[in-house]
Amino acid sequence: MLSYRKYFGVIATYTALADLRAGPMNFAVPTVVVRKKNKRSRRDAVTLATEIYDPFAFAAGDDPFPIYRKLRDDYPLYHNRKWNFFALSRYDDVAVAVRDFRTFSSQFGTSLETLKEQVPVLINCDPPDHTRLRHLIAPLFTPGQVQGLEATVREYAQALLEPVREGAEFDIIADFAAKLPMAIICRLLGFRQEDEDMLREWTDLCVHREEGVFEMPEEGMQATLKLYGYFEKELAARASSPRNDIVQKLADAEKAGSLTREEVLGYLYILSIAGNETTTKLIGNMAWQFDRVPGAYSEARRSGDLWGQAIEEAMRFDGPTHMMARTTTRDVELHGGTIPAGAKVALLYMSGNRDERKYKAPDRFDIARNPRDHLGFGGGLHACLGAALARLEARVAWEELSKMMSEFDIDTSGVKRVQSPQVRGFTSLPLRFAR
Amino acid sequence: MPKVLFEPEGEATIEVDALEDMTLMEAALMGGVPHILASCGGICSCATCHVVIADEWADLIGKANEEESEMLDTVASRRPHSRLGCQVKLANAHDGVRVIVPGES
Repeated sequence: MLSYRKYFGVIATYTALADLRAGPMNFAVPTVVVRKKNKRSRRDAVTLATEIYDPFAFAAGDDPFPIYRKLRDDYPLYHNRKWNFFALSRYDDVAVAVRDFRTFSSQFGTSLETLKEQVPVLINCDPPDHTRLRHLIAPLFTPGQVQGLEATVREYAQALLEPVREGAEFDIIADFAAKLPMAIICRLLGFRQEDEDMLREWTDLCVHREEGVFEMPEEGMQATLKLYGYFEKELAARASSPRNDIVQKLADAEKAGSLTREEVLGYLYILSIAGNETTTKLIGNMAWQFDRVPGAYSEARRSGDLWGQAIEEAMRFDGPTHMMARTTTRDVELHGGTIPAGAKVALLYMSGNRDERKYKAPDRFDIARNPRDHLGFGGGLHACLGAALARLEARVAWEELSKMMSEFDIDTSGVKRVQSPQVRGFTSLPLRFAR
Repeated sequence: MPKVLFEPEGEATIEVDALEDMTLMEAALMGGVPHILASCGGICSCATCHVVIADEWADLIGKANEEESEMLDTVASRRPHSRLGCQVKLANAHDGVRVIVPGES
């Protein structure tokens, strides 16, 4: 029988992980800034009377980019006193931190909250655990490997668009972008197609948060237990009749003694959730930019082979993951201040991607730019495992969308954004289109 | 656990005691080896962990497979013993391996 106790460690881990997606955020600009950038003592360099960047306070801040610019220009080493974390916002600083895993550790979690209990899962661990876990399935996620899925992705995309094709409007998130990545990850993991809707409902519940509440709600706990029960059944089924899928691979690793059962379950949980929501948000964010920037959609559509470039620019300009956290293992001197050992540090990927020190005219969405060194997928050891798959899914999605829609605009009355300290994107994005 | 000698061109050699099962890319990050950006984290999709295996180690380390070789084609400084560090898994037999790190990868 399933119990909270049995899975407590994993639930605690993912309570923190899932929190990255749902907490409200506040980007209100302070009216009083009492410290100036030229002061060099640690406290003066990073501490403000009013917090500029507060990812947890409630507000309907839709545009974090002016805040990021202020951080980059005036407070490149920023300390938030309210939540006691530091933030790095310049491209070079973030790029160094994602690579230096010995100084900027992931093992205390990659959200700003403290992990209550730790089970080694890919996203929240350092070598050697990370090495062991990542190498198990990383070879399945190279561009060459995921390329084999293109026909499947296209089939799913076409099937999802079939019911809306003859109409003039649809919700690109709810009707399409939320469903496509889940279908593909289920296929990779080896879950049955008829279970997709149920699994998506459960994973959605796992990441859903009530405003201002940073704990997983009861529904999320129940959904987590249901997922674990489902995974256990799948593992049991493969013990009697092996199959060629990721569940089997992890089951084999457990049998060989390189993974514990808890780690197998944690791995399946993270794969079910992680590759799902972010790709959804990427497809939606691209729609938003195409609507906002005149000519971008028609140019990509006319050319037919610019979708890859558009994806890279979207990942730079408005990628779904804005921030991931690390914890320092030693004192770090930077910009005249000190991050003490044991401090939480927010790495602001989307601020780095808008850094004028790195990119020319960074606030211009330009599909000709084709940046390949952006931080949209992170970098270093923990760079997004599913990046090649996300690129494939987004490209095929837009190839199919562009066959259906010659042009579109957004029905702004129905737009809803996810409120999260770490993820930016839409939960609802209704489009009106012409065929 | 194998020791790796990274030789960034024009800079001092960096010795790294790699952990079990690490790739050359992961060992390089652990040692803070310059020019190894490792943007994609080891999914063979960016070529920012390009290294050149020293001649005497090249046979033991082996050659790139087709997918890796295609990525290496995008690297201007590709040489006969070029590899992507993320695709070279280290074993105890590699203890003392010398790896040249070109200035731009």
